[in-house]
Amino acid sequence: MVLTAHHLKKSYTSRGQTLTAVRDVSFDMSGGEVLAFLGPNGAGKTTCIKMIAGLIQPDAGWVKIGDYDPHSDRRALRLLGAVLEGNRNLYWRLTPEENLEYFGVLRGLSQRVARQRGQVLLERFNLTHKRHTLVQSLSRGMQQKLAIAVALIHQPQLLLLDEPTLGLDVEATLDVKRLVREIAAEGRAILLTTHQLALAEELSDEVAIINNGEIIAQQPTEALIQQFSGSAYSIELESAIDSGRKHRLEALGVGIPAPQTLRIPQPETLYSVLEILNPLPLLRVEKDRASLTDVFLQLVRESQDV
Amino acid sequence: MFRLFLTELKREWILQLRYSAEIISFVIGLTIVFYGLFQSTRYIAGPGVQLGDRLDSIIVGYVLWSFSLFILGEIAGGLQREAQTGTLEQLFLSPFSAAQIFITRGIANLTIQFALNGTILLLIMVMTGSRLSFPPTLLLPLGTVLLGAYGLALAMGSLALVLKRVQQVLGIFQFLLFFLLLIPAESWAGSANFLVWLLPMTPGTELLRALMARGQPLDWVQFLIALLNGVAYLVLGLFLFGVAERQAKRRGLLGGY
Repeated sequence: MVLTAHHLKKSYTSRGQTLTAVRDVSFDMSGGEVLAFLGPNGAGKTTCIKMIAGLIQPDAGWVKIGDYDPHSDRRALRLLGAVLEGNRNLYWRLTPEENLEYFGVLRGLSQRVARQRGQVLLERFNLTHKRHTLVQSLSRGMQQKLAIAVALIHQPQLLLLDEPTLGLDVEATLDVKRLVREIAAEGRAILLTTHQLALAEELSDEVAIINNGEIIAQQPTEALIQQFSGSAYSIELESAIDSGRKHRLEALGVGIPAPQTLRIPQPETLYSVLEILNPLPLLRVEKDRASLTDVFLQLVRESQDV
Repeated sequence: MFRLFLTELKREWILQLRYSAEIISFVIGLTIVFYGLFQSTRYIAGPGVQLGDRLDSIIVGYVLWSFSLFILGEIAGGLQREAQTGTLEQLFLSPFSAAQIFITRGIANLTIQFALNGTILLLIMVMTGSRLSFPPTLLLPLGTVLLGAYGLALAMGSLALVLKRVQQVLGIFQFLLFFLLLIPAESWAGSANFLVWLLPMTPGTELLRALMARGQPLDWVQFLIALLNGVAYLVLGLFLFGVAERQAKRRGLLGGY
């Protein structure tokens, strides 16, 4: 396992009041896996990420990165890279090349290796032409790509990305998506938090939904979506259906919400329906599929009702 | 560690060159403040009074004060700036400890500041006609003063780590340092003299004044006291920094500002 988080708990006390940020969170990740950590604001995502990174001390529970606890063994930090949300993560008064070299040495590399790896990363992240530009003069997208490059300089096994596409334009978001896929394909585990559920659906192998400091669902992304998807089919016709076919379809239990749209609640009747429709031109035959947004909203609402 | 030092030195050097206007104005500012102090002292003392080695003593204290300000600015001010700009947490993700990073930074910065402080000292000597001596042994008491300065800077850094906004405290602290480094504590009589051993940086400053302003040889017993004093304040600073780091991690304070 690259990462194991075991029964993490964290509360804060402020002005005599205790706020529980994380009640009980456990999960693990292996190499090459992308885990999307989703939850509404204040659910405890960032606290979890920072407990994993050794930046916040948990009240109970433990974290292992590889074989090391980041809270007591600094060797764990050699296996970890992080881009934290709301942070610049970089020195704005230095250039991309200087940032890569500086953070490389800070992560334990020699100056020569840091410089060499920096060049490779700049090329891979399409930033070579900006290597001598001060970071403060780069676009937000370039800064974010550079922050990810810096987090990878020491080739960590685990990468934490807290809201990696926040505030990025479409092109920069596409770039970050491509990079996440590439990094995971190299065998690194990526823990990703995001409010962009479509992005999580696209990139993650597994989803953990956290609310009120607890994981309320954790499954492979596809299985979770399937679980919440119905078994009905929808068919869209090019033109309105005639009355003869309409009666035969209704006899099979098919719903006709609009003259060109059919809804088939029993999947076993699909081919009988298609025979009735033959040879009418079809625009679309589709099985009902929930989106991660539907799943997320349903689960979070259910957990709030409880 | 040496690798980290070289990288910090490079980073400091790049920043000094890139933002040289800031550092030049700081050097000019410190020199002007001293010149103002010098002129007003001469005015109060009257034209007939020769300041002699007392002036030299003040210059030594003033230059040490400017060293301490640089160290304080680099460690305590640096921590606050990093928290503000959002790079502090990245430093805590390093396999090097935060104290190691900030002390190395302080030393790298000091290496550059030696050149700058040398400039301040030369400017002051030209303006006031002072003639200080620079025996190589001065490096020993200077080292003890710097140890104390790092200790105090780490202690103030601990405050910055937990409280974040410490500009006001740092401002007041500068005057406390001014008092510690410019007051000729060696002239205090009786039990007050014992206090000199306990106050931060004071024994080393006293030695430096004797060496540089009065041309006396190094008093080794006094040096040992100064060394113990410097080490004690450094250990205290490291201890407080460790406590503050644990506290900040427990209360989730590293990221916020």
